[in-house]
Amino acid sequence: MSLAVRIENVSKVYPLGKTSVQALKNIELAIQEGEFTTIAGPSGCGKSTLLNLIGCMDTPTTGEVYVEGQPISQLKDKELTRLRLEKLGFIFQSFNLIPVLTVYQNIEFPLLIHGGFTKKERAARIDALMEEVGLQPQAQQKSNELSGGQRQRVAIARALVTQPRIVLADEPTANLDSATGERIIDLMKTINRTHKTTFIFSTHDPQVMKQASRVVRLKDGAVLEA
Amino acid sequence: MQVLELSSLIVKVAFRNLWLYRLKTVVIASLLGFGSFLSIVGLTLLRDVEATMQESIIGSVAGHLQMYSKKAKDDLAIFGSTFMGRQDIGVLEDISTYRDALLRHPEVQAVIPMGIDMGMLGRGNEMDESLDVLRAALKGGDPVIINERVEQLGFQIEQLGRELAERKKVTQDQVEVVKEEADLAKVKEAAFTESVARGDESALQYLETRIAPLSGEKLPIYLMYLGTDIDLYRQNFPKFRVVAGEVLPPGQRGIMLSNKVREDQLKNTAARLFDKLNKRVVKLKIPIKGDAENLRLVQDLPRQYNQIMAYLDRAEAVELHESLKQLGIPATEGTLIAQLVQQVKDFLKVDDQNFEARYRWFYEQIAPKIKLYEISPGETILLRSYTKSGYIKSLPLKVYGVYSFQGLEDSDIAGVMNIIDLVSLRELYGQMTESSLKELQEMRSQVGIKEIAAENAEDALFGDGAAATVESRVEAPTPAPQATIQVKPVIPDMFDVTEVGKGLALNAAIKLKDDVKLQDLKESLEKDLKSQGLDVKIVDWQQASGFVGQFVVIVRLVLIFALGVIFVVALVIINNSIIVGTLNRIREIGTMRAIGAQKSFVVEMFLAETAITGLIGSCVGTFIALGLLIWLGDYGIPSSHDVVTFLFSGPRLYPKLHPGIILLSPLFVTGVATLASVYAARHAAHVTPAEAMQEKE
Ligand SMILES: Nc1ncnc2c1ncn2[C@@H]1O[C@H](COP(=O)(O)OP(=O)(O)OP(=O)(O)O)[C@@H](O)[C@H]1O
Ligand SMILES: [Mg+2]
Repeated sequence: MSLAVRIENVSKVYPLGKTSVQALKNIELAIQEGEFTTIAGPSGCGKSTLLNLIGCMDTPTTGEVYVEGQPISQLKDKELTRLRLEKLGFIFQSFNLIPVLTVYQNIEFPLLIHGGFTKKERAARIDALMEEVGLQPQAQQKSNELSGGQRQRVAIARALVTQPRIVLADEPTANLDSATGERIIDLMKTINRTHKTTFIFSTHDPQVMKQASRVVRLKDGAVLEA
Repeated sequence: MQVLELSSLIVKVAFRNLWLYRLKTVVIASLLGFGSFLSIVGLTLLRDVEATMQESIIGSVAGHLQMYSKKAKDDLAIFGSTFMGRQDIGVLEDISTYRDALLRHPEVQAVIPMGIDMGMLGRGNEMDESLDVLRAALKGGDPVIINERVEQLGFQIEQLGRELAERKKVTQDQVEVVKEEADLAKVKEAAFTESVARGDESALQYLETRIAPLSGEKLPIYLMYLGTDIDLYRQNFPKFRVVAGEVLPPGQRGIMLSNKVREDQLKNTAARLFDKLNKRVVKLKIPIKGDAENLRLVQDLPRQYNQIMAYLDRAEAVELHESLKQLGIPATEGTLIAQLVQQVKDFLKVDDQNFEARYRWFYEQIAPKIKLYEISPGETILLRSYTKSGYIKSLPLKVYGVYSFQGLEDSDIAGVMNIIDLVSLRELYGQMTESSLKELQEMRSQVGIKEIAAENAEDALFGDGAAATVESRVEAPTPAPQATIQVKPVIPDMFDVTEVGKGLALNAAIKLKDDVKLQDLKESLEKDLKSQGLDVKIVDWQQASGFVGQFVVIVRLVLIFALGVIFVVALVIINNSIIVGTLNRIREIGTMRAIGAQKSFVVEMFLAETAITGLIGSCVGTFIALGLLIWLGDYGIPSSHDVVTFLFSGPRLYPKLHPGIILLSPLFVTGVATLASVYAARHAAHVTPAEAMQEKE
């Protein structure tokens, strides 16, 4: 099995006024393809920072992050964006759908940005995904008419529509009640199994952690247990 | 396909945001709509005014191009420069050289020689006029007519006596009045009247030199005149219309009076006040009561009673006295004159109730009895001008007709010019023309004769024709020795037609076959003339017309400035709203960026929002502008001012629809707004994807 993500001696320092905050300290981490990994730890320990680096939304202060073997620290914004579009999928804590668009259009959005798909190809992918996440009846509904759980399902479908190798989710269940959260994690796990997509997500919730195949524990910006 | 779908997505998102922030959208759309509206209406009117103005200027005096000497000290300003007075635009020595050189160009249709100058119009008062008429009657020798004239004169002398009596009550200079009374008493004697009726020269002269001045001298009028080849002029200036009389025949000395000058300066003052009031009260519907200008005119009107009285003979006075009584204006007591004066004064007291009726009555009953215009076709005027070398040159010119420019009848600017023949212009300018040389010779020989016959000077002076004496009096009231030089021994009032085409002109209008490429042609003509040693300035009609031509340039600058201000305000608001709006939309932008949208996508999204806002706003603005222009196209925009009348080439401007302006204005407004929001849109694109993650709902 090859590595989905490799993190080599990564530190991240945020400037904060005249001082600075060290969010991550000398992180070493490797995540295999197809893993269902959760990043856990107390608030402020650096979970989001780590996910942002893996998600190519930020670059490390020192060290290197390899995504699908590609080092990212020297990439320009444009290349990072392209990488996010092609290799990564994102699920957000607050779902972050585009309210004016329908369920279908929200899922279609990354494909349109990506370009190169016919309408038919897009429809095939979206229909399949909607069925998978159980949203077919809501296809033409506006996203702001949906419940939290339904929204997160749309977000999952949107994250998967470009068939990314890795899906990142920063506290995907934090805004959901525990039952709904559980079903979302179940869905993610099913997809992880059927599509062999690597999932990396953060959580506070011990219930959710139990579902993960691997738990990476952070404390004060350092890996406590991997 | 893909691009289209992405665009439709962008548009969709843009619409959502416009709706979400609709107040802001409405503000920006209104601003841009107003910008489009102003741009369409402004540019349309500007173009129309330019077209009508071009029509006015090219079709009345200027032609397409104007040529004048390079040695000119002032710029040519046909319709006057900002400061009045005579301009020094040099001379074109011999117009034929210039004309021949220009006519070699296939684009040139005609070269019309011109000269614009200013002179003084010698004027007599009513008594002078009566005396002129009397002299003519004496010459005619019909005793009935002579008697009538003498009677008329007697009536005027009677009136003069009354005026003098009134003056005596108020004046300080009693000695002078007593002297004048004595003079007047002398001419009232029956013996004097008899000698006048016999045509006794000394009696007539006594009247002319002592009595006529008592009724007051009129101020001289300054006349602008355009000397030209009348035939060529008429062929090339279609706006020229004869209003009264006939066209100045080619090869004749003479003048065509401008109708406007005649109406404004040579019309009976009472009639003129009636006209002014009629225009304001009846046409413009401004009530007399409460309007300062109207009240001033109304107060002025009764003071003009003498403008009516002076022209009446006894029979007419009696008739008017009776008809005024019938109108319900009773006479009081006293002599006929005293009664009539009171009646006329009462008649001239107008108000909102009686004005229309009085106006009609004036033109029906009074106007036919008086001299409505000081000068009418068929009469001869004396035009005086300072020649280039500073001498006063005077020239009698027959008034052939009265003209105006079509559509510009009410315009002071177009109406200021009287037209004379070019030969007379040259003489007034101080040029020795063939006929003036002949005239000089004749004058010399005449003076010679007079010197020989010195012992019988009176006969030499007055024996051979009344015309000469009339002029001598107008020219020099007291017969001084040098006055004989100015006695014109009948200037030939004809000249060889070819003379016009040869000699001096001050400027020349160049008429083209069509008016495209005016600017290019201007330069090439100028260059071509220069290569032939003819150093001239050639300017287009707009430049040549003086301050009027600059008016459109000024209006355009004002419009551009106004549009500029609107744009700047709109752009500041747009940019500001995008930057502020970004704060509300960090999550949305961040999400898009996180899932793979490039910065350019975000920029495009914001630009699309501005473009849509701009398009909606400017479409609405365009429709409103279109509606307004169509409405104005039917009703016309009334001209509020004389300059405007001139610019409109008529009393109303009917705007035309120019598809180019209507289509391009909203696109331009939208385009500029969109481009100008690039900065703010880029600012928005700086939102990082990570920020989307942190934002909590
Ligand atoms: N953009 C930033 N600028 C400055 N400091 C930051 C920034 N992002 C994170 N930090 C700091 O870095 C540290 C790690 O933050 P991070 O958001 O990664 O923690 P977290 O584990 O995700 O916490 P939570 O469970 O509350 O989401 C914190 O001390 C935080 O204040
Ligand atoms: Mg976090």
